[in-house]
Amino acid sequence: MAKLTIDGKEIEVPDGSSLFDACRDARGEDLPHFCYHPDLSIAGVCRLCQVEVEGMPKLTIACNTGVRDGMVVHTRNERVTKASTQILEMHLINHPVDCPICDQAGECGLQNQYMSHGLYDTKVEMDDKVHKGKAQVIGPHVILDQERCVLCTRCVRFCTEVTGTGELGIFNRGDQARIGTAPGVELDNNYSMNTVDICPVGALTSRDFRFQKRVWMLKAADSICPGCATGCNVRIDHEAGRIYRLKPRYNPEVNGRWMCDKGRMTYKAVHDETRLGDPSVDGRTETWAGVTGTLANLVGAGGFGLVVGSPHQSLEELHLLKALAKDAPLSGGLAGSDHGDADDLLLDADRTPNRRGLEMLGVAQHDGPALADLIKRSSGPVLILGGDPAADPQVAAALGEKDSVIYIGTHGDETAGLAKVVIPGAMWAEKAGIFVNRNGRLQEFKQAVARHGNAREDWRILAELMTACERPDVPGSLKAVRSDLAGAVAVDVDLNKLPVRGFLPGGEAR
Amino acid sequence: MSPSDYKILSKRFDRPDGHLLSVYEADGGYKALRMALTSLKPKEIRDVVKDAGLRGRGGAGFPTGVKWGFVPEGSEEVYFFVNADESEPGTFKDRYLLDYDPHQTLEGTIISCFAVQAKLAFIYIRGEFGWLVDRVQAAVDEAYAAGYLGKNILGSGFDLEVIVHKGAGAYICGEETGLINSVEGLKGQPKIKPPFPAVSGFLDKPTIVNNVESVASVPYIINYGAEAYKKFGTEKSCGTKLWSVSGPVKKPGVYEIPLGMAFREFFHDYLGGMVDGEELKAVIVGGSSVPVLPAAEIMNCNLDYESLANAGTMLGSGGMIVIPQSSDMVELIQVLMHFYFDESCGQCTPCREGTGWLHKIVKKLRRGEGTAADIDLLGHVCDGMAGLTICPLADAAVMPMRSFIDKFRPEFEALIQETAPAEPVSRWPRGEQE
Repeated sequence: MAKLTIDGKEIEVPDGSSLFDACRDARGEDLPHFCYHPDLSIAGVCRLCQVEVEGMPKLTIACNTGVRDGMVVHTRNERVTKASTQILEMHLINHPVDCPICDQAGECGLQNQYMSHGLYDTKVEMDDKVHKGKAQVIGPHVILDQERCVLCTRCVRFCTEVTGTGELGIFNRGDQARIGTAPGVELDNNYSMNTVDICPVGALTSRDFRFQKRVWMLKAADSICPGCATGCNVRIDHEAGRIYRLKPRYNPEVNGRWMCDKGRMTYKAVHDETRLGDPSVDGRTETWAGVTGTLANLVGAGGFGLVVGSPHQSLEELHLLKALAKDAPLSGGLAGSDHGDADDLLLDADRTPNRRGLEMLGVAQHDGPALADLIKRSSGPVLILGGDPAADPQVAAALGEKDSVIYIGTHGDETAGLAKVVIPGAMWAEKAGIFVNRNGRLQEFKQAVARHGNAREDWRILAELMTACERPDVPGSLKAVRSDLAGAVAVDVDLNKLPVRGFLPGGEAR
Repeated sequence: MSPSDYKILSKRFDRPDGHLLSVYEADGGYKALRMALTSLKPKEIRDVVKDAGLRGRGGAGFPTGVKWGFVPEGSEEVYFFVNADESEPGTFKDRYLLDYDPHQTLEGTIISCFAVQAKLAFIYIRGEFGWLVDRVQAAVDEAYAAGYLGKNILGSGFDLEVIVHKGAGAYICGEETGLINSVEGLKGQPKIKPPFPAVSGFLDKPTIVNNVESVASVPYIINYGAEAYKKFGTEKSCGTKLWSVSGPVKKPGVYEIPLGMAFREFFHDYLGGMVDGEELKAVIVGGSSVPVLPAAEIMNCNLDYESLANAGTMLGSGGMIVIPQSSDMVELIQVLMHFYFDESCGQCTPCREGTGWLHKIVKKLRRGEGTAADIDLLGHVCDGMAGLTICPLADAAVMPMRSFIDKFRPEFEALIQETAPAEPVSRWPRGEQE
């Protein structure tokens, strides 16, 4: 351990720590910075995190300085403050200051730092500014404004060090230096939108989010990406029932600070025009009261002939589904469905968020022929919860011959087209629940937006079906479902109070 | 002593065939190498160079032997670079050394490599010096043929390969880590320090980068010893120094004199004073990056590290720019500010933005559009650059800028408008924010 005095405060940090981190600990806030990023190499080019170390004649940047026992450091004295203010001024002299039309406004490093330690009057006339490329489309997801760029090189280092794809570089030198791609090269990798996240200014913006919403109007909900089995921790940014973007949420055990571009687009399905908004029977729109009556006629104490779940549903829902099936055959849906290319960073070939949840509950999946066979051999109503199994032609054919298929789904898909009763369920952003990721980590997602139309939370729908089947102990809340689930899966954690980074039964396997 | 007594480095500058191995050998060349390889240990060489007080001749003046000592003991893989990216405005001594006497530098290179146990050396030649590449390559080829390079040099068991590398023409590649980046195939911009190259440089291995003149001084020190070298110069500025003199003096050119000579003597006896009709106004003594001294101040200086430092400037590279009374100092600083603006690599914000800003303000003044506030603004911009960047390029722009205003402010003031500038009015008054 090394003992330091930072701004008069004594602090002890492990040997080998960076002075930048030690200063954050001592100050309770970061030093001014643009180029430093905890997951990237040290560039030391923004020059903002200057501190005074007693015994050293010049100011030094904290990000590239290791701690030494006995170091006496000043981060707020006049000399340091003057330097960081002047360096910030350098960052801004050629900046277009077009905040009113910039998507970064409200979450911009330049704005924040100007307000915290700038506040000088401009000394540059508008005509004198250096002009560079504006609104350049550099890839399928990212747009570049070179004039707003402070050349911190985070995006360049990300593409070199994290994805290894190296699309971005700095071209030219001096005040003509600019970020760009080589001719014929696009910023097109699975993680390109992380460059937008780490860009401290409005130079790299998301083509998807561009001009959609001022960021200060957005509300945030913690969630889990439903796009694959990795279960990246995300933040859903939404307003007035609409989701505008997903941002990665830091979880060192799962995704660090990154997420893939495919995952970021998963929110689009929530607002898809094929969403189911009302229950329907035989293709006719029904009220909830009406569909409850129909279900009461279709299903009785005899229960179901077959129950089919899917790895898109939460652990709580699958647990209820299992209880609902009771002695009836139960399938976890189509084995091998929803797969795609994987990469060695985050994206998993399994594009479902909860296949491990099915395993944890001991619910087996079936391939197309096996599931079709189960359907054919079933006697009594068939209940399908999500997953669109009719996407498989053999399953579709088998379902076509059944006249009492009940489908709890979210979109007007193949299965919805074949079912007698279609019940609109909620998508992941419209409800709370737990997914179990590919490593077996239980992670909670929270509701961000109101449910589409008259859709309901799936656990409530399942609870109503339990009532229709005259089952005892119908749960009255999600909390109750979780308490019951905890007994069934025997994990040593309160499922109603999952840690923010999730819970891995058996401890952190590394 | 007569001038010929202290011609250590420039002995063969006047000979048309000084670049040939045969001439160099006939003049006692490669004796030092033989002595170093057969009877000295690497540490003994490092010590004698340290004792000789040889200071880096590229500009920073860091003791060469001390720098060599920073290579971690027992390093397996060490690289050596001869920095011939001579691009400091006003400096043209290294190209004389390589053009007229390449073997002297080559011998110094081999001895230096032995001293730090480097097995591979690069001679990095400024891109614009195209012909020098051929000249130095020819010398290297001769040295290989004579057994001074390659495997088991002179039967000592020491191996060394030398690669002559041509730069692409960038001032910043003369900065040692920019030079290493450039050879690594990266963008020519300095690396962040620490780590310093002596610990982790080329390919992340210990690397020594020395100026041509420093390396060329080594054979003499080995041949004659530290004491002989220290006979030249002063206590803290040992040996001789090459000065490249430009400007309207009677005899501009490259001169070798012992450190510590009075400028007055050098100016009158060697340079012959100003050409007829010109009067001395000022001197930039150590390459364009050092503060300018007006005639009255430089006339009282001696040409050594400490006396020039006391006068508020630096010996630098020894690129002496003599400025006549007829020169417009603001025009001169505009040329210099354009240079630093043009050559800034652009990675550090204060230098990238500051060099361009200084250039714009000076141009504005010269257009007659400046105000008194603009002169103060120049100082303000300098404050935001000095000492705040990875490499010294920002300081190299600030030092002349500040000194030109300090010493020649009336010339700047003569360009400003008569009317007083209006007080700047903030569009967002402070009171509303706080």
